Amino acid sequence: MVTRMSLSESKLWVFMESRKGGFAEAGLELVAKAMDLARPQGWKVAAVIAGNGVRNLAEEALSYGVDEALVADHPLLEDYCSQSFTKVLAAAVKEGKPEVLLLGATAMGMDLGARLAARLRTGLSAHCVDLELTDKGELLAVVPGWGGNVMAKISCPRTRPQMATVKPGVFDLPLPGEPKGSVIELHPELDEADVTYRTVEVVQEDVKQSGLDTAEVVVAGGWGVGSAENWNLIRDLASSLGGAVGATRPAVDEGWAEERQMIGTSGRTVRPKLYIGVALSGHMHHLVGLKSRGLMIGINKDRNAPLFDHCDLGLVGDYREIIPALIKAVTVYSSR
Amino acid sequence: MRIIVCIKPVPDPKHWNKLGLDSQTKTLIRKGIPSIINPLDKNALEAALVLKERHSGEVIALSMAPPDLSPVIREALAMGADRAVLLSDRAFAGSDTLGTAHVLAEAAKAIGGFDLILCGNETIDGGTAQVSPQIAEFLGIPNLMHVSRIEREQGKSFRIHSGIERGYRVVDIAPPVVLSVVKEINTPRYVTMMNILDAEEKEIKIWSSADLCLTEPCVGLAQSPTQMFDIFLPKQERKAEILDQDAETQANEVAERLHRLGFC
Amino acid sequence: MDFKFSDREELLRKTIREWAEKEIPPKMEAMEETGEFPVDLIKPMAQMGINGVITPREYGGTGMGHLARVIVLEELGRVCPAMPMAMQVHHMCTYGLNTFGNDEQKKKYLPPLANGETLGVVAVTDPSGGSDVAGMQTSAKREGDKYIINGRKCFITNSHVSDTWIVIAKTGEGKNALSAFIVEKDFPGAKLGRKENKVGLRGANTGELVLQDCEVPAENLLGTEGDGMTVAIRNIVECGRPGMASVGLGILNATLEEAVKFSNERIAYGKPISKLQQIQVYLAEIYADLELARLATYRVGWMVDQGMPVYNESALAKSFSCEAAAKAARRAIEIHGSYGIMKEYAVQRLLRDAIVTIPAGGTAEVAKIVLSRAALSVVG
Repeated sequence: MVTRMSLSESKLWVFMESRKGGFAEAGLELVAKAMDLARPQGWKVAAVIAGNGVRNLAEEALSYGVDEALVADHPLLEDYCSQSFTKVLAAAVKEGKPEVLLLGATAMGMDLGARLAARLRTGLSAHCVDLELTDKGELLAVVPGWGGNVMAKISCPRTRPQMATVKPGVFDLPLPGEPKGSVIELHPELDEADVTYRTVEVVQEDVKQSGLDTAEVVVAGGWGVGSAENWNLIRDLASSLGGAVGATRPAVDEGWAEERQMIGTSGRTVRPKLYIGVALSGHMHHLVGLKSRGLMIGINKDRNAPLFDHCDLGLVGDYREIIPALIKAVTVYSSR
Repeated sequence: MRIIVCIKPVPDPKHWNKLGLDSQTKTLIRKGIPSIINPLDKNALEAALVLKERHSGEVIALSMAPPDLSPVIREALAMGADRAVLLSDRAFAGSDTLGTAHVLAEAAKAIGGFDLILCGNETIDGGTAQVSPQIAEFLGIPNLMHVSRIEREQGKSFRIHSGIERGYRVVDIAPPVVLSVVKEINTPRYVTMMNILDAEEKEIKIWSSADLCLTEPCVGLAQSPTQMFDIFLPKQERKAEILDQDAETQANEVAERLHRLGFC
Repeated sequence: MDFKFSDREELLRKTIREWAEKEIPPKMEAMEETGEFPVDLIKPMAQMGINGVITPREYGGTGMGHLARVIVLEELGRVCPAMPMAMQVHHMCTYGLNTFGNDEQKKKYLPPLANGETLGVVAVTDPSGGSDVAGMQTSAKREGDKYIINGRKCFITNSHVSDTWIVIAKTGEGKNALSAFIVEKDFPGAKLGRKENKVGLRGANTGELVLQDCEVPAENLLGTEGDGMTVAIRNIVECGRPGMASVGLGILNATLEEAVKFSNERIAYGKPISKLQQIQVYLAEIYADLELARLATYRVGWMVDQGMPVYNESALAKSFSCEAAAKAARRAIEIHGSYGIMKEYAVQRLLRDAIVTIPAGGTAEVAKIVLSRAALSVVG
């Protein structure tokens, strides 16, 4: 690893958001994809890191295989502020002139990406679910619109850098290896006036419980759950994800769930971002109650259950083993 | 206090099943789909009205839309905005967020004297969430997104709750500032019959590009930095990725994905 | 003829729809179970302007008029037909007061009816029969500065939730035998009788008013002695029948939406049943009836706003709309197959709601008498 005070040679930059002294996954997810895109072009990839006391993250960034880690380390970058961060990144971009700049579409990324694109008078595609780079070096960003009912491919033909924010969770995390690239110090020029608001406090909240109609997460059980005692697993899983419990008609008839929890033709219609269907067959009655473009996961012992035709992810197995394991794993990840 | 609220008419989601796609011209066919106020813009307007009720002032609805959508703007007046400015010009058509932000920023400058510009965090159609920070950038003023609470402090500054992953920042900020709100901030008030009658007396001024100082070459389809390369309707079926390893492996894989998507 | 709604009317429909969709459904289960009207919605409806839609602004209403009223009732009925059933009867009371009342009476009684302090009723029907208005037994005798009213009024919607009653009673014989009185619930001798247990429109409270030597101050005479038949008839023609027709519109809307939703979701023979021609024919029939009922009912509202007589148009709208609602609900049940007769599905309730509209505000047979007279007066 070599520290160089010079201009970046990288054409593809990824902003690697850092939190609590580590990288946010939304930033890490960009790295592997960036390198996939850059390689056929013969482009170098740079990770851009900004904050206070973040210099030590440079080596970790390089270990994921990027060619350069561009570091802007400054006490005034301790708390995120859109104008100060935009100033620093804009200065770096003006010097380094990358072709492409990617950010994760996080709370920060949406703000910083938009403000930066405006400062640079360039185009930005939001919440991409896929990226392509043509052999002419044109970035094509695949973005959902109209609630996911329409997909568009957006290009940025005239201005540079071509910018995009990427939906978290779409791309895979990179695998760490040996750091081979170099660190470039960005020496941000900042004064107090650049920090235009004061962060008084950061409040972390626990995952909140919500009612079925507004729940972002729904865990629904069906007849296959088998008993009122087993139904506790459905409740527990819902609880661990801050979600609401749903049920099919047979589960309600058995008395394991209440009428108001029933999802289906004569029950509720729900639009969760995450739906987990457990031990239910997946017949139309229940599924028409789900009007969602969110992630659908099914758990069923029968590989041929119709449920799996309507899911993104199917877990074949006994829910009585899968759910406890899942709750445990979720608890572990939650604390990260 | 003078508050400008940006209002965007968007196609009513109840009618989105009428949406068509002309794959030849790569355009959406939106015929027969009525427009509503973008839901989060109603939250923004409600926040403005609450501030006006507490601290007295004026709420101005600002929108960039064709003139035949002024009934949608009238609803903003019926909710309680004092007056409205509608920016209509063929030249604005096809603007991406940069062009839109420039036009709205120039209109805000022309209105002048504002303490706050409030927007919804994102629209239900485009959903980019880019316009509010970009308006702030063109105006050279601070901005905050994902706002779930606005309190006015002693003096003139504001204490804002601005959302982050699994929580929020408490931020002190001095006006003028652009804030974009999330739905958790409030429940928009109903429009009553009296409100509808009162709104008919309120002014909707229509401005074209001639009334604004549009110096940046980014407005309109041709000058938009982003371009529509292709557009398609996604396939409806889902193809299940089947996991059939032991329970623990399955659980770990699922939990990891859920974590990255922000569910845990 | 201009068949387009104004921006004001479009916005009105939108805002009432939003209110109704959010505020009424949480009450509906209890309404259906208990047959009780959700009294905690009275003030919120007043704030929306619903209670005073045909009351002039100077008396606390919005004065938007009768066409606006149809739109309001239709939108309420689309969510829960019992709601416009109750409110349309309330409007009959405000209408009677506004049309026949003197300034003191209007100043005293209209504002509380508009702002949600109280609901109103118009009590015409005696046990002797609603159609045979002239044959009523309820009587009012002048004694000094009071009238003493004796009798019973039955099948009165809002009986147990209203404070202001317009009561029609016999004050004489022959041609101008009837008079109209403003009776307050708390007047001595005014009592509440039985509550009816209806098969449909259950959330609209219907019951009996009992007047036992009820003392009504003379200044509460509405109009002059002998005006009672006019008060009753004009109220029914210009307010009650279009009101009932609007309840029918609500049911038609709800029925069509339920039928479409179900037929798009129900798969049989490998595809949604909405692709089957027979189902499409049924849906087309419901759609056509809804559109025709709307035209007939909007027309009445519009004509009343213009001050035009609506004797025939009103009977037509009411009889057509309510009959069509019952027909449509029956069809919708058939479209639902066996699900249609299960209580958890809405369509069976819509049929029961529709059946109850048919005798309310004038029986179908009386409407036919009106229409036959209109027909017979046609000269080629």
